[in-house]
Amino acid sequence: MSHAISHLDASAPGLANGEPRIFVEDSRALPLVSIAVALRSGAASDPVGKEGLTRVMVRMLRRGCRGMSSHEFEETVDALGAEISADVSSSVITLHADVITRSLDQVVDLLAAMMAEPTFDEVEIGKLLRETQGEIVEARDSDRSLATRHFRRLVFEGHPYGRRLGGTIPSVLALTEADVRASHAYHFKRGNIAIAFAGDVREARAAELAERLVAALPPGQPVPSEITSPERHGKRRLVFVDKPERTQTQILLGEVGSHPRDPDHIALHVATTIFGGTFTSRMMRAIRSDRGWSYGAYARLPYDKQRDAFSMWTFPAAKDAAACIALELQLLQAWREKGLSARELAFAKRYLVRSHAFDIDTPQKRVHQRLDVDLFDLPADYHDKYVDHVQAVTLDDANEATRRRVSSDDLVVAVVGTHAEIGEAVASAVPGLAKVEVVAYDAE
Amino acid sequence: MTQTVPTTQENARASQRRAEIIRELNAEKPPGARIEHEGSIPLGPAMLVQRYRLGNGLTVLTSIDASAPVVSYHTWFAVGSRHERAGKTGLAHLFEHLMFNETENHPAGSFDRTLEEAGAESNAATWVDWTFYHESIPKDRVGLVIELEAERMSRLVLREPQVTSEKEVVANERRYRVDDDVEGAVSELLYKTAYTTHAYSWPTIGWMTDIEGFTTEDCAGFYRTYYAPNNATVVVVGDFRERDLLAKIQKAYGGLESADIPVEDVRPEPPQSEERRLSVKKPTATDKLAIAYHGPAFGDVDHVPLTMLSEVLFAGRSSRAHRTLVQKEEIATELRGWVSTFRDPGLFEIYATARPGKTSAELLAALDRELARVVSEPVTTFELDKVKAKVELALVQSLETASGKAEQIGFYHTVLGDAAGAFARLEAYRRTTRSDLLRVARRYLASERRTLIEVHPETSGNGG
Repeated sequence: MSHAISHLDASAPGLANGEPRIFVEDSRALPLVSIAVALRSGAASDPVGKEGLTRVMVRMLRRGCRGMSSHEFEETVDALGAEISADVSSSVITLHADVITRSLDQVVDLLAAMMAEPTFDEVEIGKLLRETQGEIVEARDSDRSLATRHFRRLVFEGHPYGRRLGGTIPSVLALTEADVRASHAYHFKRGNIAIAFAGDVREARAAELAERLVAALPPGQPVPSEITSPERHGKRRLVFVDKPERTQTQILLGEVGSHPRDPDHIALHVATTIFGGTFTSRMMRAIRSDRGWSYGAYARLPYDKQRDAFSMWTFPAAKDAAACIALELQLLQAWREKGLSARELAFAKRYLVRSHAFDIDTPQKRVHQRLDVDLFDLPADYHDKYVDHVQAVTLDDANEATRRRVSSDDLVVAVVGTHAEIGEAVASAVPGLAKVEVVAYDAE
Repeated sequence: MTQTVPTTQENARASQRRAEIIRELNAEKPPGARIEHEGSIPLGPAMLVQRYRLGNGLTVLTSIDASAPVVSYHTWFAVGSRHERAGKTGLAHLFEHLMFNETENHPAGSFDRTLEEAGAESNAATWVDWTFYHESIPKDRVGLVIELEAERMSRLVLREPQVTSEKEVVANERRYRVDDDVEGAVSELLYKTAYTTHAYSWPTIGWMTDIEGFTTEDCAGFYRTYYAPNNATVVVVGDFRERDLLAKIQKAYGGLESADIPVEDVRPEPPQSEERRLSVKKPTATDKLAIAYHGPAFGDVDHVPLTMLSEVLFAGRSSRAHRTLVQKEEIATELRGWVSTFRDPGLFEIYATARPGKTSAELLAALDRELARVVSEPVTTFELDKVKAKVELALVQSLETASGKAEQIGFYHTVLGDAAGAFARLEAYRRTTRSDLLRVARRYLASERRTLIEVHPETSGNGG
């Protein structure tokens, strides 16, 4: 059973009255409640040179609030049979809680305390900044993270999506208590919040709990989005992240993708499914099944508040990296120039329509679809009419969307590997490069 | 252990109806296809698992869950890397990959394509004790999964080109998970060093030289030996009609022959009498530490309290070790503890990552202080209760989807022979006392049972 409750006057656009929107998916199946408190703003607000600020502020919420120390807060959450976590993206901050129903009231009070009465103790901030520094160093162990970081840096050069959400070591160490407090005041306003409940909680009770969650927050309008539509750069660029002793490479190819507000987004989504979205996609067959080059071969088309990146991901052995990139470029070009076949389109539509059952098989998934519409400015019927929209895609729609949105010229290639061994071969595999960067894996 | 639900008037009626259905299904069927209802097993307070067996030995566990119009279908085989031998490691895992290839009635590539076209999500996993294949599918397509799974259980076609290509895929998976991954490589070394005799000493993915050396004949032999209905359990959870489901399963699997499953050549691990310590260099920025104490089997009475002790020490920011090493002393970035959930005695594993500029020796000294504390004095009642609340939440979370329920049922049935083992284990957590934790700390956290791998950066990187 789904409900979208709003304190809005039905005629009022957006969140003009400065009150949170509330979404509820009620299910008695398990004694479990999932809560998401989402803010319509994120790390894009971090000042230049202070990257990582929003993430540090959000992590500080649980390190002391309403008279509780950091340790007392953690012990209380665990003892209640609850989990509280937080995510920070460029455009959204989300606090999540999963809780056994009997402890729902106490967990709501803890969430409210985190949001409205964080201590922001200077000693604790210092500890978190040092901890974050260690985590940034540790992240260099993950080749996939390194590839993603440098891929996004180039695809979204000069745009908030290209910045490092967790910050750099210098930017994190530059943060002060005043920065953290200012960031909190900037984001945490009643009107900037949407709240989703899923599971063992009825609509009326959810409304009452939502009121308790935000009661102590200051009023205020939604934070205006600072994220503009990212632009393409119109050229081929390669970044090679040099790391010693790599037997394997991590490779990302891609560019700026699309957004559900684009009229051809669903058509491109269907086409991407054929190209690299399933286990029998063109990429998977050519790269994994026929050649055994990479354990995985995928294409993705995610969205955010604006267009995110279309990307192709493979991880072949170092010896196969150059050939794999060359093959990916061929596949990309063939997809763009020759399009899909009618048979492929029919297959993709059947797959997407029938597997939609797993997009909505839990109350948590259903409520998050409603939340996404609100947070990412999706068309109001994006999820509700998803199946109809997929069914309506024609072969011309899919092929035209591919030609319009996917370019084999405007492309970023990010590779993590050992440059002395394969750097030259990899660069040769990408004709027409306008720019080649080689960066050390541990460079900040 | 199968527990029969206490008979009530309603259950008696359901039981009578089930008996009628089975009589009807078994009419004029050969012995291998005949279905026997072995019991109804309560799965927590609100769910039931029905246990059936076909004449050919196939176990079928079903649980109706109509909360979404989907069905999750799992096939668990009681074969894993423990059934391999030296020189042929990784065969169970390679074989799992090959199961997605050609069968007598379906050409190469059509298995995945047919399932995807039906809207299914499918995958598989292999570990030391088991291999399982799983599909989640819209409820009106469950017959398709039954037909495909029964087909590949008995009529898989193995050809050289597919074996060669899949060996390459697995070699790449190994590079991804082990060779280029510091923690993966260290974990492999930890097990290789901690076990000298038992098959748990080699990695499930296999040594690279073994992967490269497999032949089509190796794969065919493995298939003939272990892939048979009497070595498998089918678990079905979701929105279906019991009678229709059983009829389809009977039709698809009833004609399959059971096999002589070989007696397992078990070699128990001898007691470890002194600490084993290695030091390795890896391309990483900071020191790391991997520790393993020989621990109990998953079904051992000590497994629950040792798991709870691991939670007290390492689970989350309120745990003892996190509080000391990460928050107070600021010498670690990350800490984890885990007691392996294996059929034979496993390991209590601990992983710790040092802050830049800190050493594995400092990590070890601090960890040893925390470990000595739990050996010398009981944990607090608050700590014990906190763990009980956390494991209850984890169990409820694992039951959110039909697939989650099927996995719990299949795993506990395959490893412990108890489809409702997850709830039995929850009860065991609730019964556990502070004395139990002190007992297992003293039994298992002995230095002579320990293996320790120190990891140091290979080159001096930019540590900050």
